[in-house]
Amino acid sequence: MAKAKAVDNLGGGNHLLTLEVPGAPFSALGRFARLRAWPARGLGPGTLLDRPFSIHLTGPRELSFFIRQVGPATSLLASLSPGTPVRFIGPLGRGLDDLDPNFAAKSWYLVAGGAGLGPMPSIMAALGPRAKLFYGERSHKTQPDTGYLADLELYAPKAELVTATEDGSGYGQKGLVTVPLTECLKVQPRPIVACGPTPMLAALARLANQYSVPYFACVEARMACGLGVCLSCSLPKLDGTNFRVCREGPMVDGLAIDWDNVHT
Amino acid sequence: MPKNAKKPQASPDLSVDIGPLKLKNPVLAASGVFGYGLELQGFCPPEALGAVITKGLSLTPWPGNPGPRIVESGFGLINAIGLENVGLDAFLENSLGPLKRAGAVVGANVLGRSPEDYVELTSRLAQSQVDFIELNVSCPNLRHPGGLSFGSDPKLLASITKDCVKAAGDKPIVTKLPPLVTDIVALAKIAEDNGATAVSLINSLPALSIDLDTRRANLAVGPGGLSGPPIKPLALRQVALCARALSIPVIGLGGIMDYRDALEFIVAGATAVQIGTGILVDPGLPIRLIGDVYHWLGENGLADLGQIRGSLKL
Ligand SMILES: Cc1cc2nc3c(=O)[nH]c(=O)nc-3n(C[C@H](O)[C@H](O)[C@H](O)COP(=O)(O)OP(=O)(O)OC[C@H]3O[C@@H](n4cnc5c(N)ncnc54)[C@H](O)[C@@H]3O)c2cc1C
Ligand SMILES: Cc1cc2nc3c(=O)[nH]c(=O)nc-3n(C[C@H](O)[C@H](O)[C@H](O)COP(=O)(O)O)c2cc1C
Ligand code: FES
Repeated sequence: MAKAKAVDNLGGGNHLLTLEVPGAPFSALGRFARLRAWPARGLGPGTLLDRPFSIHLTGPRELSFFIRQVGPATSLLASLSPGTPVRFIGPLGRGLDDLDPNFAAKSWYLVAGGAGLGPMPSIMAALGPRAKLFYGERSHKTQPDTGYLADLELYAPKAELVTATEDGSGYGQKGLVTVPLTECLKVQPRPIVACGPTPMLAALARLANQYSVPYFACVEARMACGLGVCLSCSLPKLDGTNFRVCREGPMVDGLAIDWDNVHT
Repeated sequence: MPKNAKKPQASPDLSVDIGPLKLKNPVLAASGVFGYGLELQGFCPPEALGAVITKGLSLTPWPGNPGPRIVESGFGLINAIGLENVGLDAFLENSLGPLKRAGAVVGANVLGRSPEDYVELTSRLAQSQVDFIELNVSCPNLRHPGGLSFGSDPKLLASITKDCVKAAGDKPIVTKLPPLVTDIVALAKIAEDNGATAVSLINSLPALSIDLDTRRANLAVGPGGLSGPPIKPLALRQVALCARALSIPVIGLGGIMDYRDALEFIVAGATAVQIGTGILVDPGLPIRLIGDVYHWLGENGLADLGQIRGSLKL
């Protein structure tokens, strides 16, 4: 059993939940955990199941999660008082190091869309100056405060950061992050690792193919178990077989996915 | 000592018999929430349970439905996995051996597109080390061309059960009945009369979840099967009716989330119980539940479950 240590309101409906977790640190790099801070039968409608969250950062006996409030479970997690017991099952799934054991020696483009920022800090921390993060939101409404981004730089010194909002209402550039990313790929091709909405992940597969760079995607799907038994999270690959996001993912070879048939 | 004081029972006996099968306890993992038996070892060793039941197996692998495949609705869960499974051969090759070596009692849940599929699956399993076969003729995601699940059609239920009993040799057949029918007892009797060793009920209920804003169903394929806490009252009623009318064992399931839920099914007349959604919520639940049932029997001065089975006062 873990315990809530702190919940920081980051602005834009985003919260940083820090948990005391015996056994931490764990290798994060896209791995996730099941979290629950309510009774077995749920606390009101829509809270029967635990929820999956990417591990944001990990330290001694401590893990943090970037939680965007979108429904009942994320609201409960975002309002925990320090000391509240939280059921933690994790770390689960495969991380970037499982797909590319040598990843830390290379320079990468990291691409995060919305709450897809979740897994990025642990990857940035491993890469430092070899990371360039492109982080996009739809509008200012969901952007965390700039103070939070400044904190991120503490974990990944010298990492580069490009931010954008699609409608130009927030800080950073206006438009999709794939635009500045494409400019960079033209000049200096690098492998890509990304997390975010399916249309973004699908667009990145096209870009990666176009610029012939490796592409790893941290995918999301609705999950009931997170442990490989229920097949809620099964998604199609181009070879005609399925994979379980919770077991064979969430970090997968983004060029092997049948994005046209992924609906999450 | 007052007349009604309960004398604690030192070591209650949890074992139950399902026909020729001796189970060490009455708690089974239901089909669809325990993979092929080995995946949850770290939380719930399969050999510690009364038995484990596999995900529904078909003759060849099935891809299942597009996503989203699950959605929470009210206090329950709706799923439309679409019966994705690795197929019988992969289960026999990869999972059954290790399960049996670990000492687990294994039930294979089977499903087909035609009555012949069920019989072929059963004859192949009859040659294997599985301990029993559960016929899934009741999945809301699986319908015969007539539109009903196989198990809702009395003639088909009779012939599938009868032919599978024959094909199974000495392996017990458990027929898993559909929950939403006019007369559950009539169907259960058909299973009994055609040689089923036991019946299990209930499967998930046909259900729909709608997104008001988009006016679309929340699952890609539309409807799915409702499971979890909301279906327990219906399950208890169906189990109580069947247990009274049948002489073969009834295995009860639907919404069991703790030992008290499980014991209510025993009081309703179930010989054993299965846990479905409860395992998704807490993979350690079955193990805790077995311990809790044991303590409850002890504290209440009961030597075994037979002392409360079917004790429902009406
Ligand atoms: C591997 C993985 C890692 C994740 N990491 C993070 C993270 O770091 N930070 C974060 O804020 N969220 C993350 N999510 C998404 C998070 O699990 C959901 O937002 C959460 O379950 C919503 O719960 P809720 O009760 O608040 O809302 P719900 O009422 O359950 O859902 C609200 C809305 O979110 C959608 N939704 C629900 N579950 C998912 C899902 N699994 N994926 C995509 N959309 C979903 C629903 O369709 C609905 O429209 C992750 C999901 C997965 C599978
Ligand atoms: C995700 C999921 C998958 C399921 N798959 C199967 C299956 O393959 N075969 C079957 O007979 N029942 C299947 N079921 C039904 C369960 O075994 C059980 O009958 C039902 O969920 C009711 O029990 P519960 O409320 O404890 O979950 C599935 C249920 C769920 C939630
Ligand atoms: S969430 Fe259950 S198999 Fe992945």
